[in-house]
Amino acid sequence: MANNYDAIVIGGGHNGLIHAAYLARAGKKVVVLERRHLVGGAAVTEEIVPGFKFTEFSYVVSLLRPEIIRDLELPKHGLTILPLPSTFTPMDNGDYLAAWDDHDKTRREIWRHSPKDADAYDAYSRAMARMAMAVKPILSMIPPDPTSLSPKDLFGLLKLGGHAGSLSEKDFHNLAKLMTMSAADLLEEWFELDPLKGTKSASGIIGTFLGPRSPGTAYVLLHHYMGEIDGAFRAWGFAKGGTGGISNSIASSARALGVEVRLNASVAHVIVKGGRAVGVALENGDELYAKTISSSLDPKRTFLKLIEPRHLPDDFLTAIKRYRTRGSSGKVNLALSELPDFTALPGVGPLHRGAISISPSIEYIERAYDAAKYGDLPARPYIDSILPSMIDPDMAPPGQHVMSCFVQYAPYHLNGGWDDAKREAFGDSVVDTLAQYAPNLKRAIIGRQVLVPPDIERITGLTEGNIFAGELALHQLFFLRPAPGYTDYRTPIRGFWQCGSGTHPGGGIMGANGRLAALEVLKG
Amino acid sequence: MSTKYDAIIIGAGHNGLTTAAYLARAGQRVLVLERRDVVGGSVVTESPWPGYRVDTLQHFGGLRPDIVRDLDLARFGLTTTRVGLTALQPGGGALELGSGGGARAQAIGAFNRTDAERWPAFTALMAKVAGFLNEVYAAPFPRVPQIDAAEAPALAQLGLKLRGLGKKDMIEAVRVLPMSMLELLDEWFESDLLRGALAARGVHGLMQGPMGAGTAFLFLHLWANNDSLFQTRVKGGAGALSEALAQAATGFGAELRLGAEVAQVKLSGDRAAGVVLANGEEITAQRVVSALDPRRTFLGLVGPDALDPEFVWATQNIKLRGCVAKVNLALDGLPTFTGVTDAGLRGALTLSPSLNDLERAYDAAKYGGLSERPYLEVSLPTLAEPGLAPDGKHLLSVHMQFAPYRGEQADWATRIEAIVVNALAQLAPDLPGRILHSQVLTPRDLETRFGLSEGNLYHGEMMLDQILFMRPLSGWAQHRTPIENLYLCGPGTHPGGGVSGASGRNAARQILKDQKA
Repeated sequence: MANNYDAIVIGGGHNGLIHAAYLARAGKKVVVLERRHLVGGAAVTEEIVPGFKFTEFSYVVSLLRPEIIRDLELPKHGLTILPLPSTFTPMDNGDYLAAWDDHDKTRREIWRHSPKDADAYDAYSRAMARMAMAVKPILSMIPPDPTSLSPKDLFGLLKLGGHAGSLSEKDFHNLAKLMTMSAADLLEEWFELDPLKGTKSASGIIGTFLGPRSPGTAYVLLHHYMGEIDGAFRAWGFAKGGTGGISNSIASSARALGVEVRLNASVAHVIVKGGRAVGVALENGDELYAKTISSSLDPKRTFLKLIEPRHLPDDFLTAIKRYRTRGSSGKVNLALSELPDFTALPGVGPLHRGAISISPSIEYIERAYDAAKYGDLPARPYIDSILPSMIDPDMAPPGQHVMSCFVQYAPYHLNGGWDDAKREAFGDSVVDTLAQYAPNLKRAIIGRQVLVPPDIERITGLTEGNIFAGELALHQLFFLRPAPGYTDYRTPIRGFWQCGSGTHPGGGIMGANGRLAALEVLKG
Repeated sequence: MSTKYDAIIIGAGHNGLTTAAYLARAGQRVLVLERRDVVGGSVVTESPWPGYRVDTLQHFGGLRPDIVRDLDLARFGLTTTRVGLTALQPGGGALELGSGGGARAQAIGAFNRTDAERWPAFTALMAKVAGFLNEVYAAPFPRVPQIDAAEAPALAQLGLKLRGLGKKDMIEAVRVLPMSMLELLDEWFESDLLRGALAARGVHGLMQGPMGAGTAFLFLHLWANNDSLFQTRVKGGAGALSEALAQAATGFGAELRLGAEVAQVKLSGDRAAGVVLANGEEITAQRVVSALDPRRTFLGLVGPDALDPEFVWATQNIKLRGCVAKVNLALDGLPTFTGVTDAGLRGALTLSPSLNDLERAYDAAKYGGLSERPYLEVSLPTLAEPGLAPDGKHLLSVHMQFAPYRGEQADWATRIEAIVVNALAQLAPDLPGRILHSQVLTPRDLETRFGLSEGNLYHGEMMLDQILFMRPLSGWAQHRTPIENLYLCGPGTHPGGGVSGASGRNAARQILKDQKA
């Protein structure tokens, strides 16, 4: 029968596709069901303004696991990642701080502002690289449950213990501190320069509902620091064709491995019989059956929308209900007739090929958080922008450009709720903020797309628009993600699996979740 | 010169005295040196005005029950009472978590029925997690990750004990500890007043708001110290606790010298050999034990020159951001707190009407400013013990947050008093007219008077990255220091702050163990 498979994967985001590809690679007959008309989930590129391709949600890549790129032969399927060579932070005094792709050049730039920080920068970079190397193995394993006595967990603990034991005492302690402290405290130990601390602290708050002074943000900073493109450690990149290009290359690889990808196939619910997941029912009434079913949707959507509560134990339901998913970020995508001209560094230059970060100080970002934590919009948000058309000219018509602005904070639970006027006001605050540093921006705007958390939820399905499918808070990481006892991608329902960013090791275009989950499914 | 002492203890705060008592009890020759002319450190009751006995800084305090038993402190006059917690509502009224269990649920139910139903399960879980912490607090934290063979059995035993709590509770413990109070309370309660009062415990003495991760840890830490959400009042004032400890220590044979300020730790090579007093006098000992905070000990008494630069850097980076101001008022009568019962007034009174109010109080301090709408913890000791003030007079003792050390200005004492009196006047309108005397201690005053670096009550913030094996500094969690024979016994060491005596007791255990080895 046509609707019988070995495996059904719900959701065609990057994790769902990677999961499907690994299952197909092991000889399984797999179908991916995607609600929308295109694959990618939050990693999609769409032509919203005619001629201008927007990397609508997720816009840069650094965490995609190199083993996945190799195993799925993604370059063969069109994956090209172009490096983002710099970060440019305009300052309120009219100057700027830049980080270039050359360590010495960056040091010289920091030295221009603070010789002390230029010295510290070396030691800091080395320390962070060591820490990131120390955490990395955890990304490729199922975190052991330290409270369990099962042989599997004990073995995992031993492995992790062996790994911890291989660290020097100093590194182990630094790592423990890094897991628990705030990004601001971490950076203040090293640096004095406001735009340097501000820009670096921003990696600690991306996607979280925390300010840089909140403990736990140093880990998020490290999470982003672990990025690697194709094995090159610590580099951010932009995919040719936008993040949708990544999704398309994974889909292409999956299809080549025999995966069937069905678009416009929205799953209404999972069919459970005798405590076992046996299939799914689509919104259009079709039913598909399979031996295993994996959901790449976030845990709340998966268990509270697709499964009838009677199939789940109370403890588990409670854990999923209290799983925190507060969305905190928005996206403003601009179609431009010309490049923004920054008063701090006029003209077209290398800065336009890298990230442009509006993060003049820790206090600037913290104040933006202060507004959001009570449900208000910040007057001056933190913005991380790139100009994809400078890296990949195909993204916009000749001579014209697209600008992708990631913005924080935009609280999902805005006081009084979101409406069109508030969405536009949010968009205006972003444009106004950028225009303070690049005055020609306003007249250059041909079109714009403003996406706030309810939009992200509506379009991608991410609950509350949380880009990590669940906050990266300490109590939602490792063996606690998404719920205690279910970190191994299994669920209380036999034959039903999870493989999305809501599982270990969390969000970002990493793919580790989809891959690790597939390896578990294959173990049976 | 022959060495007369096995150990010199620098500082006669409750932890220094606890270490002294345990060492003396084990037969050691101990000398305690105290800079001030009164014992107790920040747990002290003094007379700033004739006829009054004022809890200068700490107004509650219990010590771990096992320490009270070990040192037989009841014999030295220590009498304590558990007191309730009352959440004050601006404009009158209060939520009194004071009397027995049934009445407590009823009091909560008057504000929110669901909260009342959830209360027993919440307290049961918190008690379990605090019990888990108590097991971890009962001994110096093992050195990790390279565990000494000698320590492995103790660690294994601890592991088994914790497993004995049951898998479900242990997971809950691990899950809850790194949370923010916001995250914890969102899972349980709805009433603003209840959430505000509980959240306040999670930030007491801490430069964080209740939305900061790890504030649930401080909440549970203080719960573990008190073996309860509720605090303890000492008969005769908090200082009576220190007096009892001093008597126990001297009773076991320790020698105590007041007015003896230590200027430096005397080194012989890379070992501590004794101390030099401010007056130039030198006293030698086998071991020197500092109850001062780690920064003061290492950078002040030892000096950076004798230490590895990286260690000095780490010491400078210990987070000690003091944020509590103390206001003591003498009143010519009991102020009228409308809607609060007499029983409620006898306990700890908290002004923190909601979690957001508490977070906003922190917001101001985050940028170096004073909180205009502060969080207050208030004690009215003269209700239970009229003898602490002249006939008919009363004392009111306030911890005010947030007054950040790093933003302090010359006029802060005046401003803090005005802010506190104004906030109290919203609750007891007749209070301002009753003030006879006032004493304000800003974080800088706390530093000067009690030697607390940056005015931090805990000798190091009780944040996740400064606890367990990271307290006071990575690699030095066993009360030892890079200077041989120099030990730390203050709350800057594991398990940390609050009036519990655990750091002092664990330090004595470590010293005795090292001596045997």
